[in-house]
Amino acid sequence: MNSLFSGKYTWLHSINPSLKLLTLLSLFVLAINIHYLSFMVGFSCVILTLFIFGTGYSYKQLLLLSLPFLFVFLSTSSSMILFGKGETILFKWAYVQISEESLIRGIHLGFRALSFAMLGLIFALTTKPVMLFYSLMQQLKLPPKFAYSFMAAIRLIPIMIEEYQIIMNAQRVRGIEQKNHFLKRMQRLAIPLLSQSIRRAYRIAVSMEAKRFQSNRKRTYYYEVGFSRNDLLFLCYFLVLLGLAYLLSTHYPFLPNTDVRYLSDLRD
Amino acid sequence: MQKGLKLTDILVTIVISIAFGILYKIWGPLYYAVKPFGLHIDQLIYGMWFMAATVAFLIIRKPGVALLAEIAASSGEFLMGSEFGLEVLLYGLIQGLFAEFILFAFRYKRFDLFVISLAALSSCTGSLIMDFYKGYIGDLSTWNLTLLIVFRMIGSILFTGFFAVSIAKALEATGVTNLVRSSSKKDHEALDQ
Repeated sequence: MNSLFSGKYTWLHSINPSLKLLTLLSLFVLAINIHYLSFMVGFSCVILTLFIFGTGYSYKQLLLLSLPFLFVFLSTSSSMILFGKGETILFKWAYVQISEESLIRGIHLGFRALSFAMLGLIFALTTKPVMLFYSLMQQLKLPPKFAYSFMAAIRLIPIMIEEYQIIMNAQRVRGIEQKNHFLKRMQRLAIPLLSQSIRRAYRIAVSMEAKRFQSNRKRTYYYEVGFSRNDLLFLCYFLVLLGLAYLLSTHYPFLPNTDVRYLSDLRD
Repeated sequence: MQKGLKLTDILVTIVISIAFGILYKIWGPLYYAVKPFGLHIDQLIYGMWFMAATVAFLIIRKPGVALLAEIAASSGEFLMGSEFGLEVLLYGLIQGLFAEFILFAFRYKRFDLFVISLAALSSCTGSLIMDFYKGYIGDLSTWNLTLLIVFRMIGSILFTGFFAVSIAKALEATGVTNLVRSSSKKDHEALDQ
């Protein structure tokens, strides 16, 4: 969330949140249909560029935020590299079998996970949740009772985290063993946290209805969310650069240009 | 009687789910920490991600709650900047839909461990389908894929089935569920006397 660090206000912040969300979702669909490593790497580079230069955060902050990416990359690719199917065996030891195909496929998966992680962070870093839900109500006609419930719930996050710490401390003061059975410990935390949250949510809903909150009438909005020239720029950025990446990767593939899937049926 | 979900139902569902969203966010790094061993130990805790749906359904007991809960939990996780990024939204949607489908098949009338575990397995199937497309898990060697599927199913039944039911039971004991459940037939009979 934006409260994590504060960054500069950039053109990415001014993009219509609904449009941003839909664009990123279509990029997701596009990405799971990329089966050639060269284009996947190109795709990741296009997103990386936007992530580094577009989000308005300092390099130090971005580096800190990207630390989990390393984990994401390694963990996503490792099991495919070590245990994937393939014919050109490079290394074999007990159950571990690294083949050329599985290596390429693993790296492909790593890049894919990496680009999803970056897309997600680009959105989370440059979008105010309140604006997202106002925009969803205005552009995508999300019923207000859902949108306002989301906004109320997001407001409760800091309170819930505070309460989590209070519960932990209270249990520690009373000498409840921490190294207890895992599920028991989870339950002891979850029950008070959930029951308090339910009570609070119920109170909020009752007071909203007492103040005549209605979903079906035509509403006016405190924030009007519209479109600007930056939205066009945003769409063009992806259209042009991804098109370029596609052309480059098909004409000058710098990496093995084979389908990364294991197409045993199509071979022979 | 108003049909569908009331504001109270929606708000309570979303707040529960966001609480789970926080949990998922805390969970994520742990999941990645055990994952690189490649032997899919991580899959045993994967079931955690389907929990919001069944817990919310067990508390509110209305159609549509499971789907809404799963969507809300994933958007909560997404907006907090999940390591998994964008994919959590679509996974949430699919997992919620699959759980909802089982609950619908039993006409939202059964709240026992068996049906809840079936819903858990259904969510699990949904996530596996997504993984076939996104993660090429079909290209893992057979023993490894079997291990992954079996571990994930065990995890889903454990967390989304057993653990969710026990949480719901404990919450019933605290009395908060009476706030949100619609009045039962017994309550009406009590009024008639």
